[in-house]
Amino acid sequence: MLTTIIFLPLLGAAVTALMPRSSPGAAKWSALLFAVANLIVATYAMVRFDVAGGFQFTERYDWVREAGIQYYLSVDGIAMPLIALSALLTVLAILVSWKMERKPAFYFSMILLLEVGMNGVFCALDFVLFYVFWELVLVPMYFLIAEWGGPRRQYAAIKFFLYTLFGSVFMLVGILALRMQGGTFDMLELARAGFDPTFQWWVFAAFFLGFAVKVPVWPLHTWLPDAHVEAPTAGSVLLAGVLLKMGTYGFVRSSLPMLPDAAASWSWFIALLAAISIVYGAAVAFAQTDLKKLVAYSSVSHMGFVMLGIAAGNAAGINGAVIVMIAHGLITGMMFLLVGMVYERTHTRMIDEVSGLSAGVPVAAGLMAFASFASLGLPLLAGFPGEFLALLGAWESDMWPGFVVISGVGVLLAAAYMLWMVQRVVLGEKSKAVSGITDLTRLEIGILLPLVVLIVVIGVYWSALLRYVDPAVTTLLKGMGA
Amino acid sequence: MSGYLHLFPEFVLLFGATVALFGEFLPGRDRTVALLGAGISTVAALASLFTAAEGTLFGGMLVYDTHSQFVRAGICGLTALWLLWLAGRGMTGERSREATALALFSSLGGVLVAASAEFITMFMALELSTMPAYVLMGYRRDDIRGLEGALKYFFLSMLTSLIMLYGLSFLYGLSGSTLFAEVAPALEGAGTLALAGAVLVMAGLFAKMSAAPFHFWAPDAYAGAPAASVAFVSTVPKIAGAAVLVRLATMLAPGVDQLATLFVIGALASMLLGNLAALPQSDVRRLMAYSGVAHTGYLLLGLAAGVSINAPAGDLAMLAVLLYAVAYSVPSMAIMLVVAEEGDSVASLANLASRRPWAAWAMVVWLVSLIGIPPLAGFFGKLYLFGAGVTAGYEWLVVIAVLVSVVSAGYYFRIVRSMFFGTESTEADSGGITPAASGIQLVPSRLAAAALLIAVAATFAIGLAGSPILRYLGYAG
Repeated sequence: MLTTIIFLPLLGAAVTALMPRSSPGAAKWSALLFAVANLIVATYAMVRFDVAGGFQFTERYDWVREAGIQYYLSVDGIAMPLIALSALLTVLAILVSWKMERKPAFYFSMILLLEVGMNGVFCALDFVLFYVFWELVLVPMYFLIAEWGGPRRQYAAIKFFLYTLFGSVFMLVGILALRMQGGTFDMLELARAGFDPTFQWWVFAAFFLGFAVKVPVWPLHTWLPDAHVEAPTAGSVLLAGVLLKMGTYGFVRSSLPMLPDAAASWSWFIALLAAISIVYGAAVAFAQTDLKKLVAYSSVSHMGFVMLGIAAGNAAGINGAVIVMIAHGLITGMMFLLVGMVYERTHTRMIDEVSGLSAGVPVAAGLMAFASFASLGLPLLAGFPGEFLALLGAWESDMWPGFVVISGVGVLLAAAYMLWMVQRVVLGEKSKAVSGITDLTRLEIGILLPLVVLIVVIGVYWSALLRYVDPAVTTLLKGMGA
Repeated sequence: MSGYLHLFPEFVLLFGATVALFGEFLPGRDRTVALLGAGISTVAALASLFTAAEGTLFGGMLVYDTHSQFVRAGICGLTALWLLWLAGRGMTGERSREATALALFSSLGGVLVAASAEFITMFMALELSTMPAYVLMGYRRDDIRGLEGALKYFFLSMLTSLIMLYGLSFLYGLSGSTLFAEVAPALEGAGTLALAGAVLVMAGLFAKMSAAPFHFWAPDAYAGAPAASVAFVSTVPKIAGAAVLVRLATMLAPGVDQLATLFVIGALASMLLGNLAALPQSDVRRLMAYSGVAHTGYLLLGLAAGVSINAPAGDLAMLAVLLYAVAYSVPSMAIMLVVAEEGDSVASLANLASRRPWAAWAMVVWLVSLIGIPPLAGFFGKLYLFGAGVTAGYEWLVVIAVLVSVVSAGYYFRIVRSMFFGTESTEADSGGITPAASGIQLVPSRLAAAALLIAVAATFAIGLAGSPILRYLGYAG
């Protein structure tokens, strides 16, 4: 099952890349076919998943037995929803690029290759395999930005590549150190090993660099606004929707369970950076005139809540962190999709040039307002429960309450900049660029609809998501001896 | 008697080289000769892999084990790849049958080096593997720059050979023997003299491997030579050098305590200098020369680990060195072959993706493998090397190694950028003869394409099929 989820897109990428140039439609249909097939498999897995069953769908074979490297896939309740998220967003990313005419075979195969890496990271339980998939996303994302990006795409693409590579090589050193002390690459076994606290401290530092760049945590975030602004819409959606979660997933899957003592001694530092990220991201988002940049910085802010929940290290905190990961994937994905759709019509993303959407394109404006409300954490929408739980967990934990208060201010700031944006873009005076544009097509509404539904469902009935996440988090915490 | 079966690859290669010298009389000439050479090298490679592994010849002058068999197969395989390409493309504007002979002679030296366990044999075999390289580097008789580079290479190589020989005389003086097996015990407790000998020998070998601080010849020599020659000279002798380094290091380690320090210094200098100096290069040959320095640095890191820890982890370190030498050479050779087809500067590769998408994607695979991104050969090579480094307690050196790998991504991706986006500013041509400038229209060649395709497959296979390779090398975990 998991092998299918990972390698179906790889097959799709190969088939799509070989589609003849003479029939430009072939590539996108092939890509869509594979992505939808994968979404069906992922949904089926999600339904079949036994929430009380711990790790399941296990596939385990020797890969390089001599070096102790295994092909070891298995998912728990934390990974499963993330896989579904990645499968869903890939389909939407392909649909939103439906009109892509520039090298479509290359483009769509890169998106599918990206999905291979994303799904693989969430499935892998062998550290080398994990690293393989972790690095695999770099190459397609580089090409997505560098080939189909905005004016400064070359700079943004290589910056993304080098920053992430810089972080992940430290992770590699950490993996090798764990292997030396623990004698295995098996991530579950390493979690049971119980390492010396000083050793844990160093490995945690190495992992921190690897994961924090990806999340990204302030001050390692500077690649993110560049990458987002220059990336094509589909690239932004997958970058914000899934790739950032790989970083926080790394913390939850490896740093916390394998290095619990270090996690405890580092928690104040992570909480500090989380609080800074939340407030800094929100404050900078205020100042943005470019819609895409605003959403990018709001991502830094929201991912700060994930880090805060991880720093809290208790059930509420980690549950909250995972829910924010899912919710942020849906909401920010939707925001980037909408910004992309507006941009396609107005050819500008400047906030003062696209004001007054509601007068011209009511559907787009309404959905934009909806996504903004979800993003600022309105109760009954998906943005609320995760951040609430993360803050609650942080408050209950023994970290300095000041961090929680500062992060709470971040929520207020988010409400302020989002509402201000809504006021200008959705309401506001109808600007020149907005007059005369057409409203969303049926396809575009169809792309956004699943996100709207999921945002509402998770917002209202988040215990459905917790049914998956909570048992896995309980197991995780039990393993940490908390 | 059956022991002489080990020499089968040597005899086959010698036969091929001799026949190639008489290529004048063969129908089809250059192409036939190169194809014949490729076939012969393939046979030699397979023979190296599948003949019985263990054995000694001539009273311990040649020692065969799985390590040397693997290296011999690697040398012959790469030679075959190069000759296959040569059969398709030829040397730009020159007759290529001599190139075939030279490559086969060099590869013959290489396979002997890999098995040698005695000073004189090792020295002569090393010379046999580098001597044809001088000629290959100066292959274009009318190119002054090429001749200058070749001459520089020749003089420096001679000098370092003599330094090495001087060092060997110390070791001989201390032990009264030239056989590795007899030298090793005599060195224990010999102190400074043994160290002096080791330093001199290593200086010579470092220079042959273009490790800093003995790397100066490489960028100049490469930048003057035809890219096709660089493809061969920068890879095949390097594998032989890695093999002899492993063997010498294993021998010297018990007697010379500071050996690991030598390797650490070499590794540090090579990794930093190679990667940083490669950054501003606009000529791919110079860039690959410096990147070669860097990759030798990674090899030395593995050697440092190998001599500081005891088997079997030390064994894995040495295996990793050999594996990485091959894993580095395949993409490196293939990149230079594409450069030989397309022109020497980064700018001349511009928009390769739209002209030859398959070649451009193959280049991406090789470059990404050199950076060390999974799941390709370079990643697994580095994984084992760095794993050994961490086990040996050189965490700081491994941290530097991974950091400079990130730097290397910077310059390798300049090539990617040029191929796909063509935005690299059109730099002044570096002076090398591009195929276009020499007025020779290169026709697409199936044989050359096959060679490149094999290189791509090998880059994947060495990475993904680590298990059979390690098992062949006798590593049991």
